[in-house]
Amino acid sequence: MSENYKFDTLSLHAGHIPDKETGSRAVPIYQTTSYVFNSTEEAASLYNMEVGGHLYTRISNPTVAALEQRLAALEGGASALACSSGMAAMHLVVSAICSSGDHIVASSKMYGANINLLQHTMPRFGVKTDFVNPNDPEAINRAIKPNTKLVFGEVIGNPGLDIMDVPEIAKICNSKNIPLVLDATFNTPYLMQPFKHGANIIVHSLTKWLGGHGIAIGGAVVNGGNFDWGDKDKFPTISGPHFALGGISFWEEFGPSALIAKIRAEGMYNFGPSLSPTNAFHLMQGIETLPLRMKKHIENTHSILDFLVNHEMVEWVKHPDLETHPDHEVAKRILPKGSGSIVAFGIKGGREAGKAFIESVQLASHLANVGDAKTLLIHPGSTTHSHLSSEAMKEGGLTDDMIRLSVGLEDINDIKKDFERGFKAVKKLNK
Amino acid sequence: MIINFKDAKTYIGTGGKSLDNTKKTLCFLHGSGQNHLSFVQQARFFAYKGYSVIVPDMPAHGFSDGNPCKSIKENAEWINDLLVDLKLNDVVVIGHSQGCLVALELNRILKSSLEALIFVAGSNEIPVNQFLLDLSKEKPQKACQMMVTWGHGIDGDMSINKWPGHSHYGEGNNIMCMNKPTALKYDLHSCNDYSDGIDAAKNIKVPALAVLAKNDQMTPLKSGLKFVELIKNCETHILDCGHFLPSERPMELNSIINSFLSKLK
Ligand SMILES: Cc1ncc(COP(=O)(O)O)c(C=O)c1O
Repeated sequence: MSENYKFDTLSLHAGHIPDKETGSRAVPIYQTTSYVFNSTEEAASLYNMEVGGHLYTRISNPTVAALEQRLAALEGGASALACSSGMAAMHLVVSAICSSGDHIVASSKMYGANINLLQHTMPRFGVKTDFVNPNDPEAINRAIKPNTKLVFGEVIGNPGLDIMDVPEIAKICNSKNIPLVLDATFNTPYLMQPFKHGANIIVHSLTKWLGGHGIAIGGAVVNGGNFDWGDKDKFPTISGPHFALGGISFWEEFGPSALIAKIRAEGMYNFGPSLSPTNAFHLMQGIETLPLRMKKHIENTHSILDFLVNHEMVEWVKHPDLETHPDHEVAKRILPKGSGSIVAFGIKGGREAGKAFIESVQLASHLANVGDAKTLLIHPGSTTHSHLSSEAMKEGGLTDDMIRLSVGLEDINDIKKDFERGFKAVKKLNK
Repeated sequence: MIINFKDAKTYIGTGGKSLDNTKKTLCFLHGSGQNHLSFVQQARFFAYKGYSVIVPDMPAHGFSDGNPCKSIKENAEWINDLLVDLKLNDVVVIGHSQGCLVALELNRILKSSLEALIFVAGSNEIPVNQFLLDLSKEKPQKACQMMVTWGHGIDGDMSINKWPGHSHYGEGNNIMCMNKPTALKYDLHSCNDYSDGIDAAKNIKVPALAVLAKNDQMTPLKSGLKFVELIKNCETHILDCGHFLPSERPMELNSIINSFLSKLK
């Protein structure tokens, strides 16, 4: 009764209490596509959104709902919706709010697919984006136009690790009545809760730290419930008449949860990027230990930073918790527990050295994911960006000696030993 | 729908259907610091069951402008005038919390008759502690937060919700934050100052239904049970949840109200 449970407790419990019939302590996996209606009246009431409930798993599912309610609780949001991937979440938000002729202001330093969606795909549907430096709130302010419908960025950018000054940017968005949408994948609600800093909508790739074990792809939209969608001319998809349900306005009917209601009624209905109940279960299992894992991720990250900064084979190290990082002061202010477990570093010897390092380590896995419990590495210069010249990479803010490291939870000395093996191979090469 | 009433923009939720005063009307009265959104799962449900539904945002609440009413009597007079303005007769009034006090008072002053009264988490009195009264004046946002936490049963703490993906706390806070900052202070004082509840309850001559909550920390069950004793033949149900039973137990509440309504006439 009104315990106001804390973060660690909510990570384990929010969204589920054992049901009386089975007593199942774990969240049951409701592996079903559909739900038997007790009457035609009940079926109609679900279709009409008269009351909450489940009618078809593309729209909602009890296991997925437990995950959604856990995320809403951890972020302090009004409601959440889980979907098939982080990219699906991003697309659901953009397509729910924007129509042809609308404009977006977005960070220029984001995950490739986030950039691609806004730069190449959405313009085909008449939605244009201006990209601006994420650590320059004034530039964001200047880029906002009368037809701007949202401002988008990553709290901690992938892979450049730029930090957005969320409270400053939120102030600007708020004063212009534009929702601030943040990809909070790299921080997770454990390191920072964007709604507390004035953001309005969060998208997550659950695939990463929230799920945390590299076993399931998933995404989520969390709705702060703190945005006024009442301007019908500006946000007709949320506050104007809906094409079904007798032309209701989601804003008038559902208030703080208008955006999620809209996404369920349109995005999930018509595009259908639903999350499988089994993946929802796996992701929730991960969230149970999020606080413990994030603590260790940060601890190991700080230790490896120390190791790399002082290593003779390392040319440079980039992480917002280092004083040398340009956004260090912002990071200290908005991410006091630490700014995530992604580290970028350059190895003496350029592209070839990076390649040799990656190919010589044993424990760290060479792959294209981040946020696993295991240590992961990638060398963009010899993989994702191998087709680019050193100069072209520099233009995109990357260098050919750069290694992106996702620090895992292994014994820190084992990680260091593994890296020494990599550095030894580079040394041999450099001789 | 939005109307201009007493020179102020006034929003009235109609459950997604247009108002039709040839049908039986259900008038939902929201609680302290709430607005039409606290009845979303009742408004839409009954509008689709063929009733005409109105859920007015009281002045300075939700999407309504105007100055907040400063007493239960003033609230009741405002509703009375609204019913006259909308030409609605024989309405069934359903109050939640403070809305129950307003319903009691409305029943006393109403020129035309009411068809029935439904009290959700109600009592004949709602004393408010001094701490919350002060907080509602000095830090209304903090007061809202506390009410949302106290107001919900375990489902609030555990983020258990029949509406997939919704959080009682997150949603409840934001619903309250939509109101003008002074609204809560006047609501809580109105509740605290109201002392005609016993008389008003004894005066009820129309069919009455009360749905109370076992873990209600705002209008405790004990007080609710004393209240229903004052009303002649009040059908009473107790649900296992907190004070916000319209969102905590929407199906059960709707079904109790539905079967009560089907017994009228
Ligand atoms: C910051 C960020 N956002 C979104 C995504 C997309 O997530 P998903 O792979 O779950 O679609 C990624 C994936 O790498 C990411 O790093």
